[in-house]
Amino acid sequence: MLHAAYLMPLFPLAGFAVLAVFGRKIGNPLAGWLATGTVTASFAIALVTLAGMIGEPASHRSFVETLFTWIPVSALHVQVGFLIDPLSLVMVLFVTGVSAVIHWYSIGYMAHDEGYARFFVYLNLFVASMLILVMASNLVFTFVGWEGVGLCSYFLIAFWYDRPAAASAGKKAFIMNRVGDAGFLLAMFVLFNALHTLSIPAILAHLGDLSTGTATAAALLLFLAATGKSAQIPLFTWLPDAMEGPTPVSALIHAATMVTAGVYLMVRMSPLLHRATDVSEVIAIVGVATALVAATIASTQNDIKKVIAYSTVSQIGYMFLAVGVGAYTAAIFLMVAHAFYKSLLFLSAGSVIHGLHDEQDIKKMGGLRKFMPWTFAAFMAGWLAIAGVPPLSAFWAKGAVLVHAFSYDIGLWIVGAITAVFTAYYMGREFYIVFYGDERWRRLEVIKGDPHESPWVMRGPLVILSVLAAIGGLLDLPFHPHLDFLSSWLAPVVGSVSRHSSVGVGGEWALAITDSVLAVIGVTLAWRLWRVTADARHLEPAFLQRAWLVDETYDKIFARGGEALAGFLANVVEAKIIDGAVNGTASGLRWMGSGLRRIQTGYVRNYAIGIVLGLVAILAWMLVRAGV
Amino acid sequence: MHPGLVPVPLLATSLPDAITFAVSAVIVIAGAIGVVVARNPVHSALMLVMTLFGVAVLFVEQRADFLAAVQVIVYAGAIVVLFLFVIMLLGVDRREAVSADPLPWQRPLALVLSFCALGSVLALGFSGAWSTGAASVTGALPHRAGDTAALGKVVFTTYLLPFEVTAALLVIAVVAAVLLVRVPQLREQGGQAGAERGGAAGLEGDPEAVSDPGVDGDPQGLGERDREVVPS
Amino acid sequence: MSLFFLSALVLPKIAWSAILPELILLAAPLVLLAVSALSARRLPTGVYAGGMGAAGLASLGASVWLWTQVTPHGAGTAVDGAIAVDGFSVLVMILVSSVVVLAALIGEGYLRREGIGGPEYYVLAMFSAAGAMLMASADDLVLIFLGLEIMSIALYVLAGLDARRQGSGEAAMKYFLLGAFSSAIFLYGIALVYGATGSTNLPQIADFLAHNVASSDGLLLAGMALLLVGFFFKIAAVPFHMWTPDVYQGSPTPVTGFMAAVAKAGGFAALLRVFFASFGLLRDDWQPVIWLVAVVTLLVGAVLALVQRDVKRMLAYSSINHAGFILVGLEAATTRGIAASLYYLFVYGFMVVGTFAVVTVIARRGDEAHDLGSYRGLAQRQPFLAAMLALLLLAQAGVPLTTGFLAKLYIISAAVEAHSYALAVIAMVSAAIAAFFYLRVVVLMYAGAKSGVGLPAPLAATGAGEGAGSGELSPVAAYGPGAASAAELEGDRPEASRPDGAGGGEGHGEPDAAGVPATIALAIALCAGFTLLFGIWAQPVVELARQATLLFH
Repeated sequence: MLHAAYLMPLFPLAGFAVLAVFGRKIGNPLAGWLATGTVTASFAIALVTLAGMIGEPASHRSFVETLFTWIPVSALHVQVGFLIDPLSLVMVLFVTGVSAVIHWYSIGYMAHDEGYARFFVYLNLFVASMLILVMASNLVFTFVGWEGVGLCSYFLIAFWYDRPAAASAGKKAFIMNRVGDAGFLLAMFVLFNALHTLSIPAILAHLGDLSTGTATAAALLLFLAATGKSAQIPLFTWLPDAMEGPTPVSALIHAATMVTAGVYLMVRMSPLLHRATDVSEVIAIVGVATALVAATIASTQNDIKKVIAYSTVSQIGYMFLAVGVGAYTAAIFLMVAHAFYKSLLFLSAGSVIHGLHDEQDIKKMGGLRKFMPWTFAAFMAGWLAIAGVPPLSAFWAKGAVLVHAFSYDIGLWIVGAITAVFTAYYMGREFYIVFYGDERWRRLEVIKGDPHESPWVMRGPLVILSVLAAIGGLLDLPFHPHLDFLSSWLAPVVGSVSRHSSVGVGGEWALAITDSVLAVIGVTLAWRLWRVTADARHLEPAFLQRAWLVDETYDKIFARGGEALAGFLANVVEAKIIDGAVNGTASGLRWMGSGLRRIQTGYVRNYAIGIVLGLVAILAWMLVRAGV
Repeated sequence: MHPGLVPVPLLATSLPDAITFAVSAVIVIAGAIGVVVARNPVHSALMLVMTLFGVAVLFVEQRADFLAAVQVIVYAGAIVVLFLFVIMLLGVDRREAVSADPLPWQRPLALVLSFCALGSVLALGFSGAWSTGAASVTGALPHRAGDTAALGKVVFTTYLLPFEVTAALLVIAVVAAVLLVRVPQLREQGGQAGAERGGAAGLEGDPEAVSDPGVDGDPQGLGERDREVVPS
Repeated sequence: MSLFFLSALVLPKIAWSAILPELILLAAPLVLLAVSALSARRLPTGVYAGGMGAAGLASLGASVWLWTQVTPHGAGTAVDGAIAVDGFSVLVMILVSSVVVLAALIGEGYLRREGIGGPEYYVLAMFSAAGAMLMASADDLVLIFLGLEIMSIALYVLAGLDARRQGSGEAAMKYFLLGAFSSAIFLYGIALVYGATGSTNLPQIADFLAHNVASSDGLLLAGMALLLVGFFFKIAAVPFHMWTPDVYQGSPTPVTGFMAAVAKAGGFAALLRVFFASFGLLRDDWQPVIWLVAVVTLLVGAVLALVQRDVKRMLAYSSINHAGFILVGLEAATTRGIAASLYYLFVYGFMVVGTFAVVTVIARRGDEAHDLGSYRGLAQRQPFLAAMLALLLLAQAGVPLTTGFLAKLYIISAAVEAHSYALAVIAMVSAAIAAFFYLRVVVLMYAGAKSGVGLPAPLAATGAGEGAGSGELSPVAAYGPGAASAAELEGDRPEASRPDGAGGGEGHGEPDAAGVPATIALAIALCAGFTLLFGIWAQPVVELARQATLLFH
């Protein structure tokens, strides 16, 4: 087996370094190809490692590759090392794979941007950080990756820093993530205090030494960190705003990889959840609530990317639901499948935006299927996949989550099922508005002439992702024990703490059929309302009006509420309390400083007096010691 | 460890010795004060000669004849004469412009502190006693054959390296002298914002006044300048 | 009788290899002086810089070789006990030699820019470095004093190197007067210690103290007090620090960096050795003094740095703050504490030299632009300098992934292990205060001329939570750390290499045109690289410091 995990983050890191220094010289498009190449190389190494690992027996598939000791100070021995096991390898594979495809796509998407090289600098740094996050063998090192991806995320959200919205979106993401990071840090303190180690394998091995209370506290704090990073209630509103960044960024960071880091963290620390009490329930409820809330919001948005963004929040909610009900494999399964179809949707949306010269309002689009057949097909594949139409990927992945939810608690399943209908609906709504109906862009003069299909460099990734989104379900098929590849692959890591569904084969069939029916209902609803009726909108004005009312209500309740919360955080907590404390302390110190500086007269004789003063003081102490 | 140690009280010598010590000590201290106080640099130099002679007498009293001779020949003879040459070359009449002391509390405070320091050191010195009963463990030299040989011995054994390394100090002094006497080509005015500043500088200048307060480079309004200008 | 002495005289065996680094740094300036005196025309400053760089590398090599000798064979003394050859001294030699190489690089760029010819800078810097090495390796108070004088007198003169700027002469004069004053006190301390113990040799003093019990060792205590004052002056501890801001501000900037690294290295090395090794038994007498001085130094350094508008003054106070940190390690008076102090000293040397190298470049011709205003928007004009300075300042602030973080962590954990909880807390508070003024410069550089909308400080997000709330800046201008575009480095060559700019017309033109001389850029990159590399890959240097204290003589 290949023991060279350090190469995986090293390649993008090297790419980052080279592009940071020589980026402008290398220029367009070579810089992009270079960045793509480094990520592809990481992917290749991951594949080789996988091949090696498959050859090993299941019990030998986990190893820690320690590079060196980072902090060798007293009790705190932090080692820089990589924990390679089936779980982290799955993450590495899909992170590098999807990243490579999105890098490739970006070469075309960013071709005309001034900050072309700068974009790939950040993107490569992001991939390196993400790989450190998923492979780190030590929580401190994980945190380095955690902060690294956050940093890249702010940089990339604010990539077009001259847009005020971009700048403020970056700020919002920053604040909400800080709340989550505080949770991560506190969790580390709690764990270190109790176990005197921060090495992940050591923590998991010594969980028995933890009191239930400590475990619960640590698990809740880690979950807080996860809600920040993964945009769950209550820290979810930064993600839709983050759509101000370039679309490949939305696909890579804010859909496929970084935002799922919270889920990964939960799965990685799943034995800790097992040890804690009631934390799993909290996670499940927060997850399913987020899924429903976000899905309802998504049904009313008019920005092509915001619909997908809320959809992302909703899908991650499903993943947390899976974590909460103990279906860790299903969470990872959905994460991978989601990475495929969600980045496909984002990239298709990017293609649309590209073709319409940066127009993002779907109400100004329409009838695009004639002009962008490739994009149309890709978007449709993504839509049907996310809707859960059999046999596309989400049908299997989401189905697995729902089966476990059903077996855990029927209430969770009901909410999840309702969300599934919404999911099929909102994505269909967007699909029909964008690709069918009037060519509103013509009347509104969004562009001159006809929209153009994207170049091959962008279509290639769409094709690859379409295929993956369609067949992603093959990863883990139910019904037969020999077909659940992912479950048996991950069994050494999460098998012992996973809950097994008590549904049975018959029940699984029934639930699968129910899922299909729900998907069809959602699709039909969208078709009925936005394909059939859209042409005759005046026929059902009342319903449309109601729809808008719903939009406003949700907007008020959730978006505004979220904004108010963010505003509260930003204006009151951040500005008044934190800044106030900081500035108050600062002005106090400044006052002290200006007082003290009066001693500093500039006269040598004064300085000499200072020396003598100190001398007399020390001598006085010595007199005391000598007992004079 | 130190078998030769004998408890030696401070004034356990003969009366003539004590008187010699007292007289030369007064000469040394008076000379030192004179060096600082005298307005005329020639007087200062002569006071220095007085001090050095006093020290030479103290050396003799401690039977450090060689040191006494060196003291007189090298310091009083050569070095102070060199000082005098320089002073004469630069002009004797040039007097320091000593204005009123801007810090009236400075002198009394310095006096008080100095006496505190002196008193503490003396008190500590008298308070101490080792198990041998001595305040000091360094008695007389083991061989009373004069200090020249003893000095020669330590200089080439125990203190060989320090002795050799002292040469570096002399080289530094030479380089420093060359550097300091070289007439600086003053920088041309113009172009540089700070070129015309620095009026308050000099030995006793106010360092805060030297820098340029003009630019507002502060994001948070920190560090508003509340410098006080001390007349000099 | 004198014949008797001569016959009894056994000259000590001189282990040349043990003092090789010092010898190199003492001999090289003599060679440079001879070359300068014998050459018919003025040699370009690069020749001398090359000589100094070569000497620095040679002494670095000799130091490393000594390290390989000390590690297996253990510590020992040489030249009749005057020199201690142990891990401690060799580590300081390695540091000082490295600083010599860096000072040669920085000095070359600076002197060329200012049009100052002659070998004086290089000669004096090497002497000074040799003095610091002697202080670190001396096993005898007399030799420590001589090392101190060699180091200091050379520094006094270096401070006055730029004769055209009044501040420089002022700094030299102040430093000289106060330095002479403190040296006198130090010398008096040596005399008293000699009187109390009968020796100036450190192991003999320790031996004497171990075998003799004092009913009340007043003389020794007085001697210790005076020695402490001398050391505190050199390392700029409060209240013996008052010369520091004036001298740091007035001295030519490369000299300031050299001074900060070398004087601290020499002063601290001798302080740690004398008090930990020789006066270790009298710990109860000196520990409280160190405690109090450390507290005052930590707080005064941090608080006064806040109100400075001159970057060099700010860095002067910051160096006082750092001295407080190193004292915390001594206060712990444990092997781990000494190792922490040594580690701090070692990595601080690189940080401070690098920082002042950046300041040298930003000051431009004339060495005057030190106001904070000169740093506004630096990231747009000089992304390389801004990124390097940000890195070095963040390291000084103790941000993770830099050596500065590990140094502070090491010190504080040593203090906690020695149960100096109050001191550990005060040290952390002062670090938090200090982070404020370091971040202020970073924010200023990156916030740039652009004000108004901005992102929360993305750099603060990497770990310096203290400054995150208040700093607003946009990550716009630079690519991020390490945005050195090669074009910038090369583009500056014409200006940098203009020989002897006595005319100096456009040398200080627009700020944007200010260049980075290649040698200084190399020095900055080396310092920043060291800080970052060993901040991430910490083990080697931490291990070095730990071993150095295990090999303590």
